[in-house]
Amino acid sequence: MSTNQYIDAFTRYLRTGDPSAMKHFCENPSHIKRLAVYRNGFYKGCVDALIANFPMCEKKVGSENFRKMARLYVDRFPPEQGTLVGYGLSFPDFIARLIKDSEFENKHIFEVTVNQQSASDLYMNLVDIAHLDYAWLMSLMSADSIEALTIEHITQLMEQGIELTELNVKLSPSVQLLSVNGSAFFEWISLKTNNYGVDQAKSPTDDFVMLWRLQGAVQARSLCSAEVKLMQALQGTGRSLGDAFDAAVTVDENFEVSEAFTACLQNELLEIQIN
Amino acid sequence: MVKARLKVNKAGFPQYIVAGEQLGAGLSLKPEHLDDILALPVEQLVTNNNLWFEVHTENYFVAGGPRLNYLRAVRENFDISFHGVGGSLGSDHKSMLAHTKRVKALIDEFQPALVSEHAVWSKSDGKYFADLMPLPRTQDALESLINGIDCYQTGIGRSILVENPSNYLDFISDMDEPQFLVEAAKRSGCGLLIDINNLYISSKNTGIDALDYLKQIPAELVGEIHIAGHDPDPALGQSLLIDSHAAPVATPVWDLLAQAIEIFGQRPVLVERDANIPSFTELMSERETAQSYLNQSELESRLNISHKEVVR
Repeated sequence: MSTNQYIDAFTRYLRTGDPSAMKHFCENPSHIKRLAVYRNGFYKGCVDALIANFPMCEKKVGSENFRKMARLYVDRFPPEQGTLVGYGLSFPDFIARLIKDSEFENKHIFEVTVNQQSASDLYMNLVDIAHLDYAWLMSLMSADSIEALTIEHITQLMEQGIELTELNVKLSPSVQLLSVNGSAFFEWISLKTNNYGVDQAKSPTDDFVMLWRLQGAVQARSLCSAEVKLMQALQGTGRSLGDAFDAAVTVDENFEVSEAFTACLQNELLEIQIN
Repeated sequence: MVKARLKVNKAGFPQYIVAGEQLGAGLSLKPEHLDDILALPVEQLVTNNNLWFEVHTENYFVAGGPRLNYLRAVRENFDISFHGVGGSLGSDHKSMLAHTKRVKALIDEFQPALVSEHAVWSKSDGKYFADLMPLPRTQDALESLINGIDCYQTGIGRSILVENPSNYLDFISDMDEPQFLVEAAKRSGCGLLIDINNLYISSKNTGIDALDYLKQIPAELVGEIHIAGHDPDPALGQSLLIDSHAAPVATPVWDLLAQAIEIFGQRPVLVERDANIPSFTELMSERETAQSYLNQSELESRLNISHKEVVR
């Protein structure tokens, strides 16, 4: 018996629940059912990680429904790194496929409890809420800014006679931008704040949402079209401040550049691009 | 106090583990307790019998943000230990380099007093199974474990302590667990972390003699001791004990700890808790019990020394 054969058999058991290949390796065949402790531990670890990483998603569909969905995800996409931090990158897309398949097969994924209106209500916004949960997590765990652009920093640069419009800047690593359907962002906020009075009126247009970390806490808000243009211009390797604000003004000529710039500084959204 | 000197391995890592000299009884660091820990009066820290904290290394595989900042704040006043759960020393070493690169970055920043991992496997064919699966105790598995420990130690640039697993059933083996672990330690230059709760569970689940097990481990290899709570299996009851870390340390585990300290001498003792987290005060009370075992052992060893001096 080689170690590889043992691990292959054990892996097969963990993936399928079929212990037959492990029989050759167990000293006492009557104890083979005890292997379940390891399989349960594997699923519990992964499902608990998904609950931690997608808390509003779990809140929306309820613990039982979420666990069912999470177990299916673990079956299909077990973790690939030796950590569960950040596990679930493809979970939102998985949910989308699950919903699509269930609609195609006319079979509901979720059991609807008394407090929930209908399965279709549970599906609504769920994928976007999962995307928002994951973006929140990524913002929380992202690298700290190397050189955040602050009001004090700008004052110093101005004293040195540096032309601010020529300053190359980029978004700080914690900034996450994503587009979500109509009312998803409001529903996510209401789930997060337990404020179910928030207006969840369905909007025909997408919301562009920005999440960022300020003093250790993740913030989130939806952006207007000019702000979207500004943030998109500053994504990646960034751009000069002048070019970025010009891009925003082309979308909305009444865009308040100074106000937006001050807000960027107060929220530590920008860092100087060091070439 | 005793210094455990470990065998120098081929890569020539620093091989001294000051066991018991710097560290007393420690606690698992739980996010729920951060405010309590940071509020501990600084003047009490010196007289606090060398309180220290252990974290699961992989929980800090983040690029930045509050999680690392909290650990930095704790590290300012306390020694810490990194306890890995995802290294998979026994299998699938292909991804070890990427894993240890992240561990090393944390070690470089936080300078932990101890670094440990498990004598188990958790990865296969590029998948991570997020639990600690035992290895068959065969020559082949021993070679694989030694290779894994070697890769890990090479990757992080220092020696580690390797923990005995919780066993729920027996697999076909060529040797018993103490032999297996001692051989792995001697040939890789690592030390051992003896988890007393794992040992107690294994003894109940598989019928081994826990005291005999402890006696087979050379004291100089032991760099740390863990204790924790366990629970009966929901279906099989007391005939199958589960390493839950969700309950207070059980009386027989405290008794076995006393015997372990008698055999190994003073070593850092960690009270582990990962679920059903109680208040910090409650956990500190368990930690005080562990510290009292260490204090008692120290007192006895001093009395022995004095007695020998009087006799001389």
